[in-house]
Amino acid sequence: MKDGFDIPQGALRTPDTVMRLARMGAMFPTRLSFLRTLMRALAAEDVKVVRRQWQISAQGFGHAVYALRFGGHDYALVAVSSDLPDAQRTDRVIATAWDTAYVLYDGIPDAAEIARICAAAPKQEAARFTERDLVLSRANKSVRLFAHVVERLRAGRQPDADLVRRTGYLMRTTAVYGNGKFGIADRSVIETRPGLGGPFMAEMLTVWLIRLFTHDLVEFLGGAPLERGIKRHLGIGNSTGLGMAPFLVTHPVLLNNWMTARETALARVRAQPPLLPAQAQRLCDLAARAARHLDEWEVPDAAHQARIAALRTDWRATCARITPEALQEPQALDRLLVWSEGQSLDVQELLVSLLLEPFGDLVDGLAECMCDPFGALVTPYADTQVLKTAIEESCAWALVPDYACAAGSRQFWYVSAAKQEPRLGDRYAEAGAELESPLDIGRRIKALHAALPAQSQPLTAFLAEQPDHALAAWRVAVAERYAYADIRDNLIGETCLPIDMLRCKLAFFGASKFDPKSDRWTRITLCQGAPLADELASRGDDWWLPVFEG
Amino acid sequence: MSRSAAEILALAGKAARGAGAPPAQAARFGEVAAVHLMAGRSAAALRAALDALPEGPVLDYPLAIDAGLVQADAGQAAVLTGLERTDLLQSYIEALPCVAALEETEAGVLCLRAEPHRPRAARPSRRITLAEEVVEEMTRLAALTFVPESEQSRSSGAGAGLTDND
Repeated sequence: MKDGFDIPQGALRTPDTVMRLARMGAMFPTRLSFLRTLMRALAAEDVKVVRRQWQISAQGFGHAVYALRFGGHDYALVAVSSDLPDAQRTDRVIATAWDTAYVLYDGIPDAAEIARICAAAPKQEAARFTERDLVLSRANKSVRLFAHVVERLRAGRQPDADLVRRTGYLMRTTAVYGNGKFGIADRSVIETRPGLGGPFMAEMLTVWLIRLFTHDLVEFLGGAPLERGIKRHLGIGNSTGLGMAPFLVTHPVLLNNWMTARETALARVRAQPPLLPAQAQRLCDLAARAARHLDEWEVPDAAHQARIAALRTDWRATCARITPEALQEPQALDRLLVWSEGQSLDVQELLVSLLLEPFGDLVDGLAECMCDPFGALVTPYADTQVLKTAIEESCAWALVPDYACAAGSRQFWYVSAAKQEPRLGDRYAEAGAELESPLDIGRRIKALHAALPAQSQPLTAFLAEQPDHALAAWRVAVAERYAYADIRDNLIGETCLPIDMLRCKLAFFGASKFDPKSDRWTRITLCQGAPLADELASRGDDWWLPVFEG
Repeated sequence: MSRSAAEILALAGKAARGAGAPPAQAARFGEVAAVHLMAGRSAAALRAALDALPEGPVLDYPLAIDAGLVQADAGQAAVLTGLERTDLLQSYIEALPCVAALEETEAGVLCLRAEPHRPRAARPSRRITLAEEVVEEMTRLAALTFVPESEQSRSSGAGAGLTDND
């Protein structure tokens, strides 16, 4: 479906409101999240997944191949399961061995290609891949639940429902690599293909197929099928750290397009005429489902659990306002949103996510606007005075923090020598700040503003003398054209919490059950409640904030 | 060994940074390097550009092209003053996100014809084969931007602080 341009909409929330770390760190998945978009596309084609090979030993080791035809192309997931000693099992990116490894393959691999992948995939970053390999991933077992499920199935019983509900996945991935990494195909290979052209679609398809493999593997080892409700609740876990955070800073147009789509969707929903009874009831049902989802969301970290507990309480109060009668009054959704501005960020963002859910006809077409096929189409500023004005009008947020004080510049981003992964250091306690990665956009813009001459001159003449300011000058031009391109906070200040950036990106993926382990990394669950391979037609699009049905 | 364009983009960008280019110019060089090599042009121009840092085309070409874009946006003839036509300059033009082309007048003046607000056509992906010695040199330069991890960093990264056999 192409997005329509004649749909009524209210005002968008401003970038100064939306693009703040604390709010981004409160985001929930929506129907625009990439997994949801993918499931709708798969369901629309009634895609069939075929298990073409199952060369798995009685101990659970070997390989399997799944194939599907999607958007006029064949794809296959090659899954490789290995015998991994407990001592080698780690979620850290520095790991060198995993329980399972995966390649999403472009086409149907022949025997030679399967053999190549089976040899290379378990080595992950240490191997080289080809343009036929679209995505590379790996996952480790959730040992406790995996062993429990196998044991129960072998005993002719279903797994303990509470353990399934609390864990939520049989395996968790620690990386899902796309776009050319380690020699795999560039994104440009698939960016015009139906179904896989949207952001991270190939990666999400891989995750969904990995989930299918984990279900098959545990049923194979247990010798019995899982009940459908339990199986549906078993998603795929993921551990995500700092490696993901800089992406939002280094892809400003993409971030803008994601946020603009979401905010446009919200603006359309809040302009809706009074809801019909069925629409109002649907919203009430979804709000109640969200409450049950919150009740099932438990994490070990005491501080985050307290935050969830507060949200549960606040959400019950919110639900009291979400009644069929209230929702059928004029401007009910807009008034609800205005009321929520006095509530916590968690309530506000959960409400945004809820309100988008029943309005697929208004919202779903916007998913096609979430790519960045061109890069930043901006023209450089002609002179320094125009640039100065643009900074003051479009980037005023960057001029506020005091980056000179220790608190304002405590942290610095860098790339680690050991794994070439993004890291965050303490500028005043650790070495390496002179090699800082340029994620300090706010500080750079403020420095540029201060360096601009009183007398205007051609910008190119200024940058010829001071080339270090070129990045800031470009970012200002980008910010002026793409309003949601920048996180409007100090990303090197001591109060910057990378976990907020991670949650924003992961919410766009469609993650739920955020389980922060520190302010720098989190576990999440993907695909929980998502349709199983044989449910695409019947349940393809109704799994927002799923609840356990086992 | 064939490589993806994304690998070259990342490697060349980091190499330029390691060789002394400011971040915007380094990132732009990374994109240009991928375009340059996908077009089958010689890696020698890339090496020469890296060798010339912290001066040379990695800094000069963006300035000249951006000045040309400003002129083109104003509807003026965009003369690329002081530049000679080279393969690398051609790659810089092709790496722009907008429609753009190099032209040479009968008098031998190099001009940029551009429509800054019109996106260029999608660029087909091509695999890149690059001499290992070039890769090694870029890798060496890129490594100059890396920082040894501190114990504090290691102890706070993803997966840290937990048993993973849970």
